[in-house]
Amino acid sequence: MLTRRSTFKAAAGVAAAAALGAPHAAEAADKILKIGNDNSFTGADSQGAVRIANAVHMAFEEANAGKAVPGYKFVVENFDDATATAGQYDPAQGAINARKMVSDKLMVAAIGPSMSGVGKAMSPILSMGDLAIITPASTNPDITDPKFARQYRPKGKAIYFRTVTTDAYQGPNMANYMVDVLKVKSIYILDDSGAYGVGMADAFEAQAKKKGCNVLGRDRLDPKAADYSAALTKIKQLNPDALYYGGVGQAGTKLAKQAYDIIPKVIKAGGDGMVSADVLQGAGFPAVEGWYATQASPHIAGSHDPKVVEFTKRYHDKYNMYPDDYSITAYDAALAIIASAKRINAEGRPVTRSAIRDMLEKIEVPTLQGLVSFDANGDIKDHTVSVFQIQKDGNFELNDPAHQYVYKGVAPQS
Amino acid sequence: MTAYDLALQQLINGFSLGSMYALLALGFTLVYGILELINFSHFNVFMVGSFVAFYVLEGFGVVGQNTIMTGLPLVGVLLAALAVTMLVTGGIGVGIERLLLRPLRAVKGPAAMILTIGVSYVLFNIVILGAGADSKNFPNPLPPIVFTFENAVLRMREILIWVISLLLMGGLTYFVGYTKLGKAMRATAQDPEAARMMGIDVDRVIMMAFFLGSALAGAGGMIFGLYYNYTSFIIGFSAGLRAFTAAVLGGIGNVPGAMLGGLLIGLIEAYSGAFIATAWTDVIIFSLLVLVLVFRPNGLLGRMAPNKS
Repeated sequence: MLTRRSTFKAAAGVAAAAALGAPHAAEAADKILKIGNDNSFTGADSQGAVRIANAVHMAFEEANAGKAVPGYKFVVENFDDATATAGQYDPAQGAINARKMVSDKLMVAAIGPSMSGVGKAMSPILSMGDLAIITPASTNPDITDPKFARQYRPKGKAIYFRTVTTDAYQGPNMANYMVDVLKVKSIYILDDSGAYGVGMADAFEAQAKKKGCNVLGRDRLDPKAADYSAALTKIKQLNPDALYYGGVGQAGTKLAKQAYDIIPKVIKAGGDGMVSADVLQGAGFPAVEGWYATQASPHIAGSHDPKVVEFTKRYHDKYNMYPDDYSITAYDAALAIIASAKRINAEGRPVTRSAIRDMLEKIEVPTLQGLVSFDANGDIKDHTVSVFQIQKDGNFELNDPAHQYVYKGVAPQS
Repeated sequence: MTAYDLALQQLINGFSLGSMYALLALGFTLVYGILELINFSHFNVFMVGSFVAFYVLEGFGVVGQNTIMTGLPLVGVLLAALAVTMLVTGGIGVGIERLLLRPLRAVKGPAAMILTIGVSYVLFNIVILGAGADSKNFPNPLPPIVFTFENAVLRMREILIWVISLLLMGGLTYFVGYTKLGKAMRATAQDPEAARMMGIDVDRVIMMAFFLGSALAGAGGMIFGLYYNYTSFIIGFSAGLRAFTAAVLGGIGNVPGAMLGGLLIGLIEAYSGAFIATAWTDVIIFSLLVLVLVFRPNGLLGRMAPNKS
């Protein structure tokens, strides 16, 4: 059923396509495949969200222009899972978005969210609605862990797919890197009280202890509080070799600022929550200089692979900014959905939600990060974790993650 | 760093934090003292203040962490930014009172308080839409001069915060205690009816209370930015809540009480974070508040509010 609102949106989509010069007559006959695009567009992580959303929109626009799935047309609808009152992502808003997606009959698949806290709230609802979602950035392992299947996918089938690996690799691999490569002997650990941050810090702590690193303490930051000097002064007194922070930008930005003043000489590291334009801009140089961070994917952005070079150019021409690694994993997620729809259509079956979900489980998709395929839980089969360090490069914009984060290599797997 | 250094460092941190809370708490107390109204828009007037200061400083060409100034230009820029910020936020406070709260003054019940919550959200969303939802890299023009005592560090920005807050609080104390308008304010707080009969322009006094409270919140917002080199649309809530707690702790309506409450909350926050854990800070602050209110329901220095006749 077309509600008045969706008619309007579809009409707007056609109008936009017409403006871009797409042929008119064919559009009218195409069936609409809606793709939900959930991300944290408001608050402390908004810039990263925009970089991801750009890639998603670009992938589907290209698919439409190239008639990738004959007879169908993709329409991307954005959902914001952040609220102004939270100042960052809000799991409750994620749940509302998931319900909206599930109840929209034209919605066949979704991309997002960036935040594991939101993913935990969305996953059970999407499972009940049989709507597959591919996350380009959320890394908390619980969501896809079969141990928690009853909680996060009550219908049993994998529903939460990822084009990044999880913190079960990201945290421990970084612990390996810090002990083996950076020769860290003692460490203090902080988290930001979110699902992602706590899980990440836990995984890191366990592996750091296993490697014989002396964990001097663990504390939790309130992302809404402004002052972290108490925790940092305590860390200064304990004088560890390094500080590890599990969490995202809202607390991370302030932490980087204040840590620069209070513990300038301590090695500082975080996970993929600390890789973003928001951190670069909010904390700024010189405070962020020298921070280590990881990405739960191979490092693709800026590689010399002609496919990636070409993608980067298209992206930059269109949006006047450079894609980061999670723009690429988002683009890859879109490619996986497009490829599934294409294959289903080629087999002569109608492209539906459940058909796409089933197809994602078995398909192998050539993407920018190589061949992507998912295991029975929805996790990507590749487990690469890349390490970066922030080093100022004045030739590029200072909030451009693609150039201010210098790739240091792959974190050793245990 | 020994435990002694840690304690000293946290004293410095706690005082800076406390001065900021105190400035903010004064606004709650001034308005409550006269109108018996908890003004929740105060949270975000503070936040708007930090954005005004942010843009004024950028207007002077002070951007990010790279512009360092010294001597007279520094003082001039800071004073100009402070003056503009306080005038703008003071104006917002007066506007809220004149346009929105005055028509409601005759209405009994929580209508006015709910209205201030609404105004708070309006300010909040104006800033999100106007300035963006990302955190801002607040300029820091102060020279990186550092004094060390043992291993504790005292920076220029802390000294600046203390000086500004002390001057403002001293000025307010003088104003309330010794000027004609200040006396009118105290008279109105004591009994608005009688004050009106004595020929005091109560409307003007109320407007003044809003102006002063909001201007102090603006100053607090600017100090916040200079201290953390950061601002964002979200900063009003946690700082505002702590400051409100400070006002209640000291005895709401009581000007010295708000200052004392602010300093105490700042110190508690600093010490509990360092010696227990940051995760427990809120629990400790609010448990202490509950304890104080159980044994001294009117706060530490006693509550001052209009006599109901």
